[in-house]
Amino acid sequence: MSNFTIERVNTGVPGLDELVEGGFPKGDTILIAGKAGTGKSTLAIQFLYNGAMQYGETGVLVTLEEPPRLIKRNMMNFGMDIAKLEKESKLAIVDLSPSKEVTPVTMGEFPSFDLSGLEAIIMSHVKKLKATRVVIDTLSILAYKFRSRDILREEFFKLTANITKNGVTLLLTSEIPEHHLGLGVFDVEAFLASGVLVLYNEKISDTLRSRSIEVLKLRGSKHSSRIHSMRITDEGVKVFPGEISPGI
Amino acid sequence: MADVKSKDESESEEDDDSSKIVIVLFKSDTCAFCPRAEEVVRDTIQDFSPESFRLRIVNVSENPEVAEEFGIVALPTTMIGGVSITGIPEPEMLMKMIMGAGVSMMRGAKE
Repeated sequence: MSNFTIERVNTGVPGLDELVEGGFPKGDTILIAGKAGTGKSTLAIQFLYNGAMQYGETGVLVTLEEPPRLIKRNMMNFGMDIAKLEKESKLAIVDLSPSKEVTPVTMGEFPSFDLSGLEAIIMSHVKKLKATRVVIDTLSILAYKFRSRDILREEFFKLTANITKNGVTLLLTSEIPEHHLGLGVFDVEAFLASGVLVLYNEKISDTLRSRSIEVLKLRGSKHSSRIHSMRITDEGVKVFPGEISPGI
Repeated sequence: MADVKSKDESESEEDDDSSKIVIVLFKSDTCAFCPRAEEVVRDTIQDFSPESFRLRIVNVSENPEVAEEFGIVALPTTMIGGVSITGIPEPEMLMKMIMGAGVSMMRGAKE
């Protein structure tokens, strides 16, 4: 047996680290996929919050969908003061949400562009804060912003490789459209990541839904191969490693 | 607006005439399509009437905060007035945007 151990980054999300051998491999890209309302953003932001509060790791949250004021409000509801971390330069929010008034209205696009702008914006914050955790929430929105899917797919590979090359652990969220069988609108999301977590919130009876989480893949790790119960509590997402989901 | 001074900024005409139509081209050091986009924009301005424009070039590698402010993630992006186009623009499309910006400036002047 080898004595080699992969350096891991604790998520600090109650119960989750137990499913993934103690944490995500440092410098990896992890995809959190799930349908709308499954808790992807909350889980991803908790990863940043815990990093700053418990492990002394600064983080960058790139929001392409939800405006920062709503993120802060929603996380405050779980007792997580994001604004305070921002003030202390432990966390930066990069607001690329559609709510920004100055963003020009697009007249269209020609299939001759790259995402080097997004990369430069993210990397400038990573450098400024010496961040080791980055969340992009959510990749899926770019499918609605740009038509050239082939370019986006190729650019995602470049983007994730460049963000993680110096040991930054990157979490991407991906929204699975209703009735979709893959892990996201681009169908390459799973290839981008060395780890994939899938969140569910399935109807189990006429009056009941059940939340659960599955570690679909995590390279280099002996991860759980079961689907575990998950709840959104007053303190955010909690995973119950001992509870196998009642069925989806 | 944030400081958009970059090396390229010095190439633009330093003139504070507010009647000019401002064209902003976002590019980066690594963007392969950006040099061609810049050529197309410059040629289009030349063909139109250069004195009516002010071209600002924002190098996002040097000034990421400007791209962040305007929510520009894909490069090249050309912005005229409140509208933008991503990728190497076709001159006809630029013309349309310029005309649109001109009309709205005239409207603004009347009001």
